[in-house]
Amino acid sequence: MIATIVDWDALLQVIWVSLAAGVGVTAAWGFALLGSTRAIEVGRAGRAAEAVLYVVIGVAGLATVIAAIVFGIVILTGD
Amino acid sequence: MGSEIIVVIVVATALTFDFTNGFHDTANVVATSISTRAMPPKVAVGYASILNFAGAFVSLEVAATVANDVVEIQANSIGLLAVFGGLVGAIAWNLITWYFGLPSSSSHALIGGMVGAVFVAEGPDAIFFQDGILGKVMIPALVAPLLAFVVAGLAILVLYRIVGRMRPGPVTSGFRVGQVISGGLLALAHGTNDAQKTMGVITLALVANGTIAADNFHVPDWVVVSAATAIALGTYVGGWRIIKTMGSRIHKMDAAQGFAAQGAGATVILAASHVGFPLSTTHTISGAVIGSGAAKRLSAVRWGVAGNIVVAWVLTLPAAAVIGGFTFLVTRVFGTGAAGPIIVSTGIVIGTVFLFIRRAQQAAPPSAVPLTEGSS
Repeated sequence: MIATIVDWDALLQVIWVSLAAGVGVTAAWGFALLGSTRAIEVGRAGRAAEAVLYVVIGVAGLATVIAAIVFGIVILTGD
Repeated sequence: MGSEIIVVIVVATALTFDFTNGFHDTANVVATSISTRAMPPKVAVGYASILNFAGAFVSLEVAATVANDVVEIQANSIGLLAVFGGLVGAIAWNLITWYFGLPSSSSHALIGGMVGAVFVAEGPDAIFFQDGILGKVMIPALVAPLLAFVVAGLAILVLYRIVGRMRPGPVTSGFRVGQVISGGLLALAHGTNDAQKTMGVITLALVANGTIAADNFHVPDWVVVSAATAIALGTYVGGWRIIKTMGSRIHKMDAAQGFAAQGAGATVILAASHVGFPLSTTHTISGAVIGSGAAKRLSAVRWGVAGNIVVAWVLTLPAAAVIGGFTFLVTRVFGTGAAGPIIVSTGIVIGTVFLFIRRAQQAAPPSAVPLTEGSS
């Protein structure tokens, strides 16, 4: 009975979107923090190449967070 | 003329419910930001109220579910009185749980109240139990907190892998900044899902009154704006006693956990809103809060308090249904005109004022809320 009354497509959509966005955006923010903090530390230590790498990681993390939020709001308001 | 007066009372009651929803629920939304000191309490509450307002304009899928898929309302005065009874049932349960400091569910209270009142008014055939209540309310309501629990747990595990070896100072500051974003999204999600429930109920009342044809569902703009305003005002007034329960009594969280919990709660609620599931935002946020704590250390979660919350969840639907059905019967004693709703509304207002005075005499000021950081 349960199999027929539940809108499985909608429920599965909620599950995979929540997992992907919830874990993905959180991880991206973690990388943004990692990149920005480490970039400052290794930059102060004079390791410029490493600092650039961490800047890239930080910017990529931040960009992912912003892109995910904007994309989500566009999808939500699109209907 | 009589039915027009009832519509006005029902709309006012629905907006009052929306206000109490914001008052009751949004404490849950801001509790994590406050307990990790990401934001001062007053700033967090003001910020959440603005984003609750904005969230109400995001979509109308949940409003459509509440108006079309839970109960069938007849376009007559009995239908209007049933909507009124359901609303009173939800408000009464919200006030009772607020008074005793229990984080109940406004959403389940509303659904329960409507089902109870319509069941008494129109009989069991007017309840869409399988496809509506079970398929679109109860099963998603069961899945959502578990999903939030898993998402928050996975998120915090991933976060600790990424930032675990970094110095705590910058990391904590970074996650506090992140909580401004995740807390904002959570408030937006709350406004999206919860304000729409009120919009759905007001639309039901307009259908019962014949203002909107049942086969031409749409939510008027004034309904959207008024529901958004009511939930935002309720949020601003806040519920400090429940902040205390949600923010520090389930488990003491660090900023990373707060960020993960808010992010998980927001994504689950927003995804569910997109497909029209009227979730309990309280259940979902609680699931995320517990998940973020359990992933770090099972003993960090005060399971006794979490158990009390579960009991309140279980009680909400039947209790609100009983009060909703009872309210409809009391209202019908005075006929099908406006007298019943006027008398019952007056009683609710008097009862609310009484509870607020009692609460104000007992409540600690906001600054006395224990703010904790780091796991216990």
